[in-house]
Amino acid sequence: MMTWIKLALRNLFRNRRRSLFTILAIGLGFAAVNTLGGFTEYIFTNLKEGYIYTQGNGHLSIFKAGFLKEGKLDPTRYLLDEAEVTTIQTVLTHYPEILVVAPQLHISGLLSNGKVSTIFVAAGRVPSAVHTINSRARGMMGRIQLFDGKPLEDDVIYGVGLSKGLAEQLKLGLGSDPVAMAPTVSGQINALDAQVFQLFDSPVEALEDKFMLVPLKFAQNLYDTSSVDRLTVLLRDDGLTEPMRAQLAEDLAAQGLKLDIKTWNELSTFYTKVKQMFDVIFLVTFLIVFTIVVMSVVNTVSMAIMERTREIGTLRALGFKRRGIVGLFATESMLLGVFGSLLGTLLTLLIWFGVVLLEPTWVPPQITRRVPLEIYLVPDYMLYSVLLLIVLSLAAASLPARKAARMQIVGALGHT
Amino acid sequence: MNRAVPASLIELRDVSKIYSLGEGGVTALKKVNLTIQRGEFVAVWGPSGSGKSTLCNLIGLLDSPSRGTVHLDGQDVTRLPDDHRSELRNHSIGFIFQSFNLIPVLSALENVMLPLQIAKRSGKLSKMALERLAEVGLKDHAAHRPAKLSGGQQQRVAIARALVTDPALVIADEPTANLDSENALRIIDLMRRINHKNGTTFVFSTHDQRLLEQVDRQVLMRDGEIIEDRAPEQMESRRPLTVRL
Repeated sequence: MMTWIKLALRNLFRNRRRSLFTILAIGLGFAAVNTLGGFTEYIFTNLKEGYIYTQGNGHLSIFKAGFLKEGKLDPTRYLLDEAEVTTIQTVLTHYPEILVVAPQLHISGLLSNGKVSTIFVAAGRVPSAVHTINSRARGMMGRIQLFDGKPLEDDVIYGVGLSKGLAEQLKLGLGSDPVAMAPTVSGQINALDAQVFQLFDSPVEALEDKFMLVPLKFAQNLYDTSSVDRLTVLLRDDGLTEPMRAQLAEDLAAQGLKLDIKTWNELSTFYTKVKQMFDVIFLVTFLIVFTIVVMSVVNTVSMAIMERTREIGTLRALGFKRRGIVGLFATESMLLGVFGSLLGTLLTLLIWFGVVLLEPTWVPPQITRRVPLEIYLVPDYMLYSVLLLIVLSLAAASLPARKAARMQIVGALGHT
Repeated sequence: MNRAVPASLIELRDVSKIYSLGEGGVTALKKVNLTIQRGEFVAVWGPSGSGKSTLCNLIGLLDSPSRGTVHLDGQDVTRLPDDHRSELRNHSIGFIFQSFNLIPVLSALENVMLPLQIAKRSGKLSKMALERLAEVGLKDHAAHRPAKLSGGQQQRVAIARALVTDPALVIADEPTANLDSENALRIIDLMRRINHKNGTTFVFSTHDQRLLEQVDRQVLMRDGEIIEDRAPEQMESRRPLTVRL
């Protein structure tokens, strides 16, 4: 076996330039796919981490059945009352996989600075629960603070957060005292004094001029209710999302509750759209690389076969079987794939190291401040790339190699 | 020299070879009958296009006849599957080519070892190959690549390669055509000595008068037919036949 690998290796060096260009093509293709893969992984991870942890939405959200379809028109009808919340929480406490169960009440109304008012939408949440969820963020999202000011507190229910666009519209700053007004669940108008604890960039651009974060108690007081519209569930591991959804749906249905359980990616439409876009970009890049690799290998092997026709005839005359000829060229092609992958790994590491060293920053969509641009090293992608490129190289060589193996020996020996 | 009468090694019966060319075909061999005994030193000669290379290709199992049968060592090898023919070539037949046909990326020793490795032989292959190189006087050139060897040296490496599996038959296609006189004579002498020493059967396709002078038997071909075949017992001396070509 070693003899044939040695022979294949030496054959690669017969036309150094051609082999080098093929290895370069494979290496650059490898680096392109893995760099793009590393970048998309960085994007996906941060979007996911941002939604689940930084924005405090958790892995699962539990709603009363129909809330997502009809809740906007008739929200009070789809609220979860205290008894229902208690039942749900009791069921959920049986699962050690569940780390946090945080109730939320999303509200809307008018916010006034005493002179002018504008509409707002707000997420009423339990600040300590949100803080627990936030604290589990990893990577870039775990390192950056997405608000100016101070955190909201469970006990200081008037302390609220405003999106910067909303604050600007009402000329409010940190420490300002706006008034929030909204109809209660029984239809009366209610108003609460608030104090601006924090300013932040809205996670959804369309809400930049109207979004607020308030303590759950503030939202409930404004709506004059003890109900919530959802329960946010944080799991121990992202991979548990689907199994836990199925399990919880079963258990909660057994309690006679009619609920909808949604996963984080079903609710984060932005994540889904970005992922779909990058998947298409990745596919196109992969197809380009695939074509370049296949064409390069086919060209290299075909040229080698043409130049070494007499040699093929000689090997066959000496007793080399057809599959031996296929194996020889397949080995040469596989070595091209191996060397190309090694070069590609090196290039990917260099690019990764360069990014780590230079620490570039950028302003990604939905975030209005500069954040570090990273490229993740994804060992799985790299391993699959190595295997795929070797298989591709082998597959690309198989046709010309089989053609070489089927040559008439006499014709091959007479080839000039 | 007293040698036992050898059994028939090669037997061609009514062998024809027709090459397809466009809608028609070119007949390279016409119902050729030929028997070669073990240990013979035979030259197939004749003008270009007479069919001598085709005949050697069929004897060497490099090609199959369109009609007729080829027997090697008593076995009908005419329609054997490709793998089986490859094994037979590897074990039983050595080849020497006009252009030497050494593998350029392998050293002289590695070239000689090649048939043993193809046969997946075990043991000290390099020792066996080195012995063959020593036999052709190139032990000191074992590590040299073909490009670093002269034409004569390359052909001697090719002879060592042809002999390394101890084949019963060696087919040599114009083995001296690309050599100067001195090297050609050395090669002829070398093959003759091996023929005497090991009893290896040699079949040459040649134009070379110097080689024809040394053979035991001359098979003259013209237009795909054997027109004259002088067996050893018919030869008075090792002078070439004088035939008007």
